[in-house]
Amino acid sequence: MKGSSVASLKVPQKVSGEKPGVGHMEEFGVNFARFLMRCNAECGELAEFNMGGQQTVLMSGPQAQEAFLKTLDPKLSRAAAYQATVPVFGRGVIFDATPEKMKTQLKIQVDALRYQNMKHYSTIISKEVEDWVASWGDEGELDFLDEFLRLTLNTATHCLLGADFRYKLTEEFRQLYHALEKGLQAIAFVDPYLQQPIFEARDEARERLQELIGGIIAERRAQSGVEHSDALQTFMAGSYADGSQLDDNEITGLVIATIFAGHHTSSGTATWTLTELARQQTYSNEVLHELQGLFGNGEPITFESLREIPHLERFIEEVLRLHPPLILLMRRVMEDIDYNGTLIAAGKTVAISTFGSHRNTDYFPDPERFDPHRPKPDTLYAYIPFGGGPHKCAGSAFAMMQLKAIFAALLPRYEFELVDPDDSYQDDFSAMVLKPAGPCRLRYRKRR
Amino acid sequence: MKITVDLALCQGHSVCLGEAPEVFDVIEQAGGYPQVTVLLEHPPEALREKVMKAAKYCPNNVITVLED
Repeated sequence: MKGSSVASLKVPQKVSGEKPGVGHMEEFGVNFARFLMRCNAECGELAEFNMGGQQTVLMSGPQAQEAFLKTLDPKLSRAAAYQATVPVFGRGVIFDATPEKMKTQLKIQVDALRYQNMKHYSTIISKEVEDWVASWGDEGELDFLDEFLRLTLNTATHCLLGADFRYKLTEEFRQLYHALEKGLQAIAFVDPYLQQPIFEARDEARERLQELIGGIIAERRAQSGVEHSDALQTFMAGSYADGSQLDDNEITGLVIATIFAGHHTSSGTATWTLTELARQQTYSNEVLHELQGLFGNGEPITFESLREIPHLERFIEEVLRLHPPLILLMRRVMEDIDYNGTLIAAGKTVAISTFGSHRNTDYFPDPERFDPHRPKPDTLYAYIPFGGGPHKCAGSAFAMMQLKAIFAALLPRYEFELVDPDDSYQDDFSAMVLKPAGPCRLRYRKRR
Repeated sequence: MKITVDLALCQGHSVCLGEAPEVFDVIEQAGGYPQVTVLLEHPPEALREKVMKAAKYCPNNVITVLED
């Protein structure tokens, strides 16, 4: 996207149905994924709507999505668009840090997700899954929405903060985390500093969590010589260009940001994957046979054995196409932009919809049909469950590894079936992160 | 074969280094993400399988393998 100086530029077409005062907020609130698809159908590549006073331009199609994902600060700002995260992650952390510090913090976050660490994480995840299924017995029924939320919070805290913290994972921690989650509802994207009980609870939880994590940091700094291989250790070892290390506030912020990035996204995808495995018998049998071939004789689930499982990978990828956990990615326009002759003015928000992109019939014919065999698009910017470009989700490899570890352990041992009518398993569009509307009940039975 | 990399996409995850250390290294940078560097732009045929895995498992699609 070029900077703009030409006065003869077009402007994006406006979406119909705007109401005085609220703009399109009501329709957006009912089902934002479908609303964004309507914007695209009505206006095409660039569609402008009004989010309670904030003019927002939806960019659709691989070309526009690529431009969105590759246009960086200072033109398109993530920080300005995601200010709601500041009181949750903390002052001075990521989207509230100076551009240089933010860069370093994100680099340190990726350090914790590098290849060497992933081997360690896959061992942890396998153990967590084993401990989880140990109490299942031969058959039963569970609400897997709930189960996967718990499992992935356990794996996240275990990989991030170590075994000590994970096994002392107290009710207090769960409550603090829940208070932070509630502080990131849609209203926080309008103004995260409103006088509201949920925001007061959020701020108290953030403070207490820093005391808890600060306690572990102090303990570790006191007992030097003990090796830890969790993410906290990586965050503690990281440093800025001037050699200074991250303080307790920044480390706590990175821990929170990492849990938030990975928890609901992973649990929602795991729940949908299991639901689709129960629904799509033909494809699910392909995956089963593949896993029986790889792990049928008690082969251990390790980083190496998890790396290449093509049928399972394609199955999960198709789940992510139909149910991308993060639907709406946003940036604030900081300088006027000329996108192929159309002016996108400074001050507006630009957005892309993964959900809409994954239903683009040019790339995904008969888009609502679940088909892991559909050909991959010839562009990187049509299938975008993890975004793309320089700021692509840094946890994509971790997420895929975790999902594969879960299903490599579950599927050869148990068969699953839906408890409720098939069409009652639907996406819940009321939350910022897409998940099945709960409960999501499945029956399991041990395979012979 | 010939290897090209798109450094704008590299976040330094180091999968390539793990898969094919003969061909790739990952170098720390001041401030931002570490970046891949290609040690053998035209690796020998014997390394093809490792190189293809590095390209396939790079989480950010940084690596492209072209045929000479």
